[in-house]
Parts: sequence; structure tokens; C-alpha cells
Amino acid sequence: MSWRAHGSRAWLMQRISAVYLAGYIVMFSVHLLLDAPTSYHAWRAWMGLPFIAVVTSLFFIMLLVHAWVGLRDVIMDYVHPAVVRFLLLTLVALGLFALGLWVLRILMLTPLSNAVGAA
Amino acid sequence: MRFSIYRYNPEADAAPTMQTMELADADITPDMMLLDALRLLKAQDESFTFRHSCGEGVCGSDAVNINGRNGLACITPVVDLAQPITIRPLPGMPVIRDLVVDLSQFYHQYRAIKPYLVVHDPEPEVEYLQTPQQRDKLDGLYECVLCGCCSTACPSFWWNPDKFRGPAALLQAYRFIADSRDQATAERLDALEGPYRLFRCHTVMNCVDVCPKGLNPTKAIGQIKKIMLKHLI
Repeated sequence: MSWRAHGSRAWLMQRISAVYLAGYIVMFSVHLLLDAPTSYHAWRAWMGLPFIAVVTSLFFIMLLVHAWVGLRDVIMDYVHPAVVRFLLLTLVALGLFALGLWVLRILMLTPLSNAVGAA
Repeated sequence: MRFSIYRYNPEADAAPTMQTMELADADITPDMMLLDALRLLKAQDESFTFRHSCGEGVCGSDAVNINGRNGLACITPVVDLAQPITIRPLPGMPVIRDLVVDLSQFYHQYRAIKPYLVVHDPEPEVEYLQTPQQRDKLDGLYECVLCGCCSTACPSFWWNPDKFRGPAALLQAYRFIADSRDQATAERLDALEGPYRLFRCHTVMNCVDVCPKGLNPTKAIGQIKKIMLKHLI
């Protein structure tokens, strides 16, 4: 696959991530409506369930992918000087990467502190 | 009947102006098309310039922006239009004079999709044969007259006319991908790859809205994406 394939691949990733995000949001909203956690501890316990932890991690990965394709589209549409476009795309990529690390830290700390709290 | 007409001669004028022009109600007939009105206006002021040829929506020469919407003057009934009827050149294209625009970029994008059959096999002794079902796939594609209404109404084409093929060229790209006689589907798909040529389309659908022939470039673009997906996975 050549560098030119970044059209169809990005488009496909945007569709796949959109479907996942929609599915997760429905699942999340239904849970909040039917069985809302009543306390901070209940909330953390729910988030610490392996299934919920995995689908939530995947949600944030998909969110970052979706944001990357969308922002890349906006920059490609409107920013024409190649140097400025490259700088903006780099900034967006770094920003999203930083957000990803931050999310990772939060998600990793939840089960860890749950374990500590249990001990 | 009142008109507000875009006038610009880049060699003489510092900036474009909107000129108010008028036709006597006696000159207006119920079945009159906008092109007929433009001709009467040109009789009043011979310096007023616009393109036209067949006068029946076949050649695509007289595409202009009518009250903010692209269309062919020769098949637009003039009595249906809100006054003053504002006529501008096709948006986003360099103006040569008044309503005449330079469509070089539009034609460049059209030529880039190789708008002709590509056949690798030896030429057949008889005609290239097609079943009626295979021929039906070209309906809604071959009717395009290349007037430029769709591409010049497309925001993605306004922003990236040098890189994005535009709805007219992409409709024709699909016309040859869908043709059972063409043998260059893989090359055609490959030539549309990359983030710009096809994928600047954000399904705004202005092209479908303005097409004077009632064609649907957005649907054709969707079909190309679908075929690409099949080749991708």
C-alpha cells in the first residue's frame, strides 16, 4: 500500500470509528439511565470491570482516530501553504497523542487504585 | 423585468460591478428562457458578454449563477425567477469577461480521469458488445454535458480546485469504472487514491442540487468508494 492509499484508509477508519463511538455512547447512556452508579466507589468499581475497561479504552482510541481524520480533513481543506499545513498537522498529532497518554494514565490508575483500595 | 448583472472587464475595470438592467414587460413572453432575456439585454448593451450555443440544454455553454444558484440559462424559465434577477459568472472560476469564465482547471480535472475507454485486449473484429443490463449501468452518468454547474458549486472544489477532481470529473470517472467494456478499473481506482483527488468530497451535495440534467455525482462518488473498499479489504 502506497502513501496515496491514505485517502481510502483514512475514510474507512473514520467510518469504523464512527460506528464504534455511536455504539459505545448508546451502551454508556443506557447504563446511566438504567443502573446509574450511586456513589464514587460504585462508579470506580463499574469502570474497573475488565469488559468495561477494555471497551472504554477502545472508545478513547477510536475517539482519537476519529478526531485525527476529521481535523486532518479540515486542515487539508482550508490550509494551503504546505509548511503551515505540515506544522498544524504535527501540532494536532502531538496534541491528540498527549490526550491519549493522559487517558491511558487515568484508565491505568483506576484498576490499580481499586486494587490498592481493596487491600 | 429587472436584472442585476455582473460586469467585469479585467483589462479595463479595477473591480467587478453589478449593473442594473431592465426589460419592458411587453418583451417578456410566458415561455421565455433566461437566455432569451440575456440576448435582449445584449441588444441594449453590446459590450455585455456571455457564452451560449445550442440554446436547448445540450451543449452546456451558458452555465451561469442565477439568483445564487448555478444553472443553464437556456433551460431556466425567466418568469419563475425572483426579481431583480441576479446573474453572476460561475463561482470560484477566474473571470475572462462578464459572465465568461476560464474553465481550464475544470477541463484539466476532467482530462485527468482519462474520459475514454481503456482496453488492454486486442481490438475486437466487430463492435464492443454490451448486454442491455450492462448498458443500463451507464444511465445517469453518460448524460453529463460538462457545463461545470456542479463542480463550481462545490465548496471542496472552491478550496482545492488544483487537487480535488470535482463532482463532474468524478461522475465521469465512475462512468468508465462502471462500463463493462473498460479494462482499467484498477488503474482508475489507483489514480483516484490519496487524500485529495476523490476524498475531499464531504457529501455536501451541492452538485446534486444544481445539476441541470438531474444527475447525481454524490451517488457516483459513493459507488467509487464502495468499489475501492472492495479492493481494499
